[in-house]
Parts: sequence; C-alpha cells; structure tokens
Amino acid sequence: MGCKKKVVLSGNQAIARGFYEGGGRVAASYPGSPTVEILESMKEYDEIYSEFSTNEKVALEVAMGASLYGSRAMASMKHVGMNIAADPLMTFTQTPINGGFVLVSGSDPGMASSQNEQDNRIFGKFASMGILAPGSSQEAKDFVKFALDTSEEFETPILVDISSRTCHSRGIVELDDRVEKEPSGFEIDQEKYCMLPPNTYKAQYFMKERLEKLRQYAYDLPINILEEVDGSDTLIITSGLMYYNLKELNLPVSIYKLGMVYPISTRKVRELSEKYEKIIVLEETMPFIENELKRKGIECEGKRYFSFTKEIHVEDIEEGLFNAGVVKERRLTRVEVIDTVSRPPMFCAGCPHRPIFDILKKSKVKVIGDIGCYSMAVLPGFEAAHTNISMGASVGMIKGMNKAMRQNNDDEPIAAVIGDGTFFHSGLSGFVNLLHQADEEDNMTLIVLDNRTTAMTGGQSNASSGRYNVDDDMDASIKEILNAMGIGRVIEIDQFDYNKIKEIINGELKKKGLSVIIATRPCALRYKIKEPYFYVDPEICIGCRSCVRTNCPPIKMKKYEGIDKLKSSIDPDACVGCSVCAQVCPVNAIKRSK
Amino acid sequence: MDTKNIMVAGVGGQGIVLMTGIISQAAARDGYDVKTNDVVGLAQRGGMVWGSVRIGGKIYSPNIPVGEGDILLGMEPLEAYRWSHLMSENSTMVINKKRNYPIPVLLEKEEYPEKDIEKLKEKFNIITLDVEKEAKSVGNIKVANTVMIGVLSKYLHIRTETWKNILKENVPSKAIDENLKAFEIGRNHSNNK
Repeated sequence: MGCKKKVVLSGNQAIARGFYEGGGRVAASYPGSPTVEILESMKEYDEIYSEFSTNEKVALEVAMGASLYGSRAMASMKHVGMNIAADPLMTFTQTPINGGFVLVSGSDPGMASSQNEQDNRIFGKFASMGILAPGSSQEAKDFVKFALDTSEEFETPILVDISSRTCHSRGIVELDDRVEKEPSGFEIDQEKYCMLPPNTYKAQYFMKERLEKLRQYAYDLPINILEEVDGSDTLIITSGLMYYNLKELNLPVSIYKLGMVYPISTRKVRELSEKYEKIIVLEETMPFIENELKRKGIECEGKRYFSFTKEIHVEDIEEGLFNAGVVKERRLTRVEVIDTVSRPPMFCAGCPHRPIFDILKKSKVKVIGDIGCYSMAVLPGFEAAHTNISMGASVGMIKGMNKAMRQNNDDEPIAAVIGDGTFFHSGLSGFVNLLHQADEEDNMTLIVLDNRTTAMTGGQSNASSGRYNVDDDMDASIKEILNAMGIGRVIEIDQFDYNKIKEIINGELKKKGLSVIIATRPCALRYKIKEPYFYVDPEICIGCRSCVRTNCPPIKMKKYEGIDKLKSSIDPDACVGCSVCAQVCPVNAIKRSK
Repeated sequence: MDTKNIMVAGVGGQGIVLMTGIISQAAARDGYDVKTNDVVGLAQRGGMVWGSVRIGGKIYSPNIPVGEGDILLGMEPLEAYRWSHLMSENSTMVINKKRNYPIPVLLEKEEYPEKDIEKLKEKFNIITLDVEKEAKSVGNIKVANTVMIGVLSKYLHIRTETWKNILKENVPSKAIDENLKAFEIGRNHSNNK
C-alpha cells in the first residue's frame, strides 16, 4: 500500500480508467464536447470493445445489449445526446440490469460548446436512475467503479453526471489493477426483458422499490461525505466540482458533499436539518438538490444566492455566502473581465465549407443550419446560416418551412446545410421524409457538407471516413443512399472550383423542386491538407477586399511600404493553399508560391 | 512550494491543451499536487483558448481565483491581455510576439489593441519573445510551445531533468531533439536579447 502508481488524468481519461479497472467490457459513445475524450481513451485498453456509434441512441443500445448479456457496459455522450438516447433509455430502465450499466453524460454549465444548458439530473430522475456527480479526476474514476458495482447490486442503470469543467480538468489519480468480471450470458426471461403489458405493469413497482432501496442505501453511503465543523450553525449541501470550489474559501462551516445526488436519503437529511439552523444548497444550473430537500419539507436556500445559469466560480460562491450571511467578510476582489476585441471561432485556413458559405452569403438566400463545424457560419464573418437548433433538424425544418411558404404563395427559394456526421446521426430519416407529398412547386436546396469526418469534436471517424482513411471500415456513399431512397437530383461538387460551384448552387436555388448538392472536399484539419501557399502581389491588388470577405485566418489588409492604400496580404505560415481567395480575386493579384 | 497559479492563453490550434498537460505532469512527477483546466470545444476553431495549472501542496479547485495568477504564458498578445485581470500585481507574463488577428480585426471593424498590450508592462513583469521564430531556428515550428515551457521552467521548483523526461514522454520520438533544444532556448532566454 501507499505505493500505488499516480498519474495525471483528465476527468474524461479517469472515467475510461475507472471503466477499465472496474472490469468494463463494452463502451459506446457519440462524440460531443465535453465527453469526447472518454471513448478516445478507451482505445488504450485492449480488454474493452469500444466504438463511436452513429448516434447516441445507437451507442446506448450497443451498451444495453452488452449489459443484457451480463457484461459491464458504458454509454457516454454530451447532455443533449441524452435527448437522442431517451427513447431506449426510458424503457430499458424498467428492466432489471444484468451487467453493470453506466451512462455518462457531460453537462455544460455556461455552454462553452453547446446549444443549451439542460440539466442531466432531471433526465436521470425521469428515468429512475441513481445519479452520481464526480468533482475531480480521482472521483471520476472511483465513481465509475462504484457505479458498476451499484448497478449490478441494485439492478439499476446509473447516471454519472459530470460537468464540462470536471471532464476537461486534470488531477492526480491513483491507479488500481483491473478486476475481471465474467459475463453471466443472456438468459431468456421475457417477463424481465420484453416490455409489453402486462410485464410493464410489474416494472413500475420494480422501479419504485429499486429506488427506495437505493434511497436507504444512501444513508451512510461512503461517497457521501459529511465534514462537520464544531460551532457551525450552517450546513452547506453540495456536490461535484462545487465542493472543491467551496473548499478554496476555507470556511469554518459544515459541509455535506453528495457523491450520489439522487436519490437522497430522507432520514439522513432530516437528521442533519435538526442539527443545523441554516441549510444552504450549492449547485450549478437547476435547483435539483434544493427541490429534492424542499419536497421532503426540509428548509433550505440555494438559488436565492447562486445563479441558475453559467458556471459558479469561487468568487460567486463567496458572494452568495456573503449574501446568505455565512461569510462575514469578502476576501476575493471581483475584477471586471477585460472588455476588448472578441475572438469568435472561425473556419480553419483551407476549410472546404468556406466557399459554400461565401456563395450562400452572396446569394442572400435564407439558410436552415445544423450542428457541426458549419454552425460557425452563423458567426460574424459569414452570418450565412439562419437557424441552429439540433442535430439533423435542418432537413425536417426546411420541408416544414417550404410547405408553409407554398401555402402562403411565398416562392422565395430556401436552402439547408447538413454535414456527413450529422447526416448519418439523424439526417437520414428527414431525407426520406422529403419525398412524402413532394410537390413540383416545392423549392428546396439541401447541401450536404461531406468532409468525411465528425470535424467539430476533433475529427472522429464516421460512416463516410473510409474514403480517406485506410483504418476506417466504412465508406458509405451519401449520393448512392439518397439515390436509393428515390431522391433523383443529387449533384456532387468540388468546392475548390469556385466559379463552377457558384453557378451550380445559384442554379439550384432558382430551380423549383428538390435538389441535393453534395460537397466532396475532405476536412483540411483532420486530413492535414497543406499545399504551397498563396501570396498577394500588392502592385496588382486593388484593395477590394473580396478575399478578406472569405474570412480566412491568414488574409488581412496591410500597409505596404511605398503604397498609400491598404492592400491584402496572406500569412504564409497559416495558408494551406486551398486557392479560394485567388479565385474570388477579380484582378488575379493572388498567386501560388514556388 | 506555495501554490503557483499558471495561466496559459492563446488561440485555438496553438497547442494550449498539450502545454497544460506537460506542465501538470512535470509538477506531479516532482511530488506536487496539481489541477488543470482547459477550455476545449468550439473555441478550438481559432477562438480564444485558455488553460490553467495550479501547483502546490494541496489543490482543491482547478480554477484560478481572480487576481491570484502568478505567471501567464501568452501564445498570442491579445489573448495574454484578455486574461490579465486574473493576474496578481507584479506577476510575470511571457508573451509571444506574433499576432494572430481575430475576425473583427480581419474585417477592419475593430483595431487590434496594441496600446492596451503595450500598457501591460506598467503593471506586470513582461517577457516577450518570438516563439515561432525560435522554433523555426531548431527546424520545427511545432516546438514553439516548448520554447514557452522552457521560459516557464525558470519560475517553478521543478527539476530540469523532470521537464526533459516529461517532454520525451509526450512528443513524437523523431521530434525529441528539437523539443529539448527548444526547451533550452526558452530556459536561457533573457529579455535583453
């Protein structure tokens, strides 16, 4: 003892390690910030079968199948992925779990990389799961192992709710050896696993009793930590990273840290409430713990002092506790964040999405957007996508808007964009639906941005990556799939042939009917594209800024010596030689090097 | 060692996550407690990326409280300036010379805040160097971050041997020599050069 190996791991890596040590066998995920790295880290362990599935629903189902067989299984996703996976989850949870089953869902308080801030815990409670909330890398590892054991002992799925900050933060983790868990095999038992009435009637009682047992178990759960301070009349109930932020303040108050945030032991919190005058609940986003306590009739305050949105930092906690009368004197000085030039994310140099959005912007067409790198077309620079809701939504939405326009005799063309990852994730069903009650007066142009990778989350493989990667085993042709569905007008284009694709896109926008355009250039970042760079000849440049408006990182107006007017310039270190700027230049002032 | 709060700031794609990883591993190897933060996700596409490393006897939160930063490594000057409110008075900021212009500047809607960056020296100990140029001098522009880590190494009680071992464990084998040279350049950098 005492000589265990210690390493620095991120929360995500620690989750993968916990699954490995806990005898995990099958892990599936769909990439989404903040949990992408969990499955990427699984690849290190030969004992684990892991995959990035087509979407979160499929990932959950893969893990469900393994668990039914008795193997320890994990599905990981970001919070909004839970929405996709909700259908199987809400029924699977009615079955008694065989092999330990853990669902890890990354929340994103403050929405650094997400379209909403939904609280995982609401979902976990809805699905009648036990919910654990780790706040450090060590806990991430320990809690996953605990979840696997608890899942089997109580025949319950367990949700590990981990915040974006804890996923990406690193800390020191003590490693243990793997404990092998042999699967029991799948035994036919229709009453347990066939969720039709009357089996579902029994399942309701099963879930209720299971939760009650878990609630009893929570009374002296080792991962729920009570730190009592003599003389403190206040108890702060908290969980996850909030505990560690609170500890930074080094306050003489008692703390009850919930490792398991649901269910909460009623007996335990009643006992505690009798000992303390004041109970403060510290949690990010929704008042989940606070509401659970209030529902039990326990007086407490939480959201009165802490924000319902964004991350809660050490300074915010001090301020909240000061307002609550717990902190007498404020130590931390809050300095205003510096107000300076913003830096919105932008398409990489050589990104094949750039010419598409340059053309769409110039065409002034309304564009139904979707989720992926191309969501950045919303941002300043282009502002050439006009909705951004959820994965695959653009396909259904363009149809609905088009039908509403027809009813209203509005014959303006509309366009939608969707990437290849999103196409396979949840675009397919929308595409088939386009053919239902199709009308020759419809005017829809859909552009599939097939860059052969799930780019936004770091370039994971998907069903179309095999074209460029010998290691990838899938090379599904989007054109053939659409043709097989019965969509006749499918045009493949090379985005770096700017004038030609401009003619095609504008032509299809004008033309009535349904057109699908597939952009075929691979992701410049994932496939490390680097061609000889371009440069500007300032003597020829007329300073019109056509190239600058393509919003490419290396292109900027510059003062050249001996020339009065500003002329364009290209940073050769950052240019990857895609040629789009040279093609939009009206006077051929941009030339390839060498 | 008292807690040292290190801030790393730059632009998506500059390797900030790798830097916080190397610093944290070196600290852990020499027996310190350590926690890091990285802002990862959408910002990786040319947005503002920052990370923090906290090193000491016992670290609870990975977040650096406002005004308690001890040293900032700025891979880009505007990004160094953006996070300067986290730094304590008279703390050190190591700033790369090369500018990376954000969208509002590229589109000529706003000016790059040169004057504000210049004024940082009134409050902080500023060290500037062109890490890309130094990296190119050892033959690999990708080791720019390692030059920065070399400068940082002078400010922390972590053994040189530890830094070098951690670098060897984290970079591709064919780039080890270039990284070690880059580390030495940073370590020997003096502002008067």
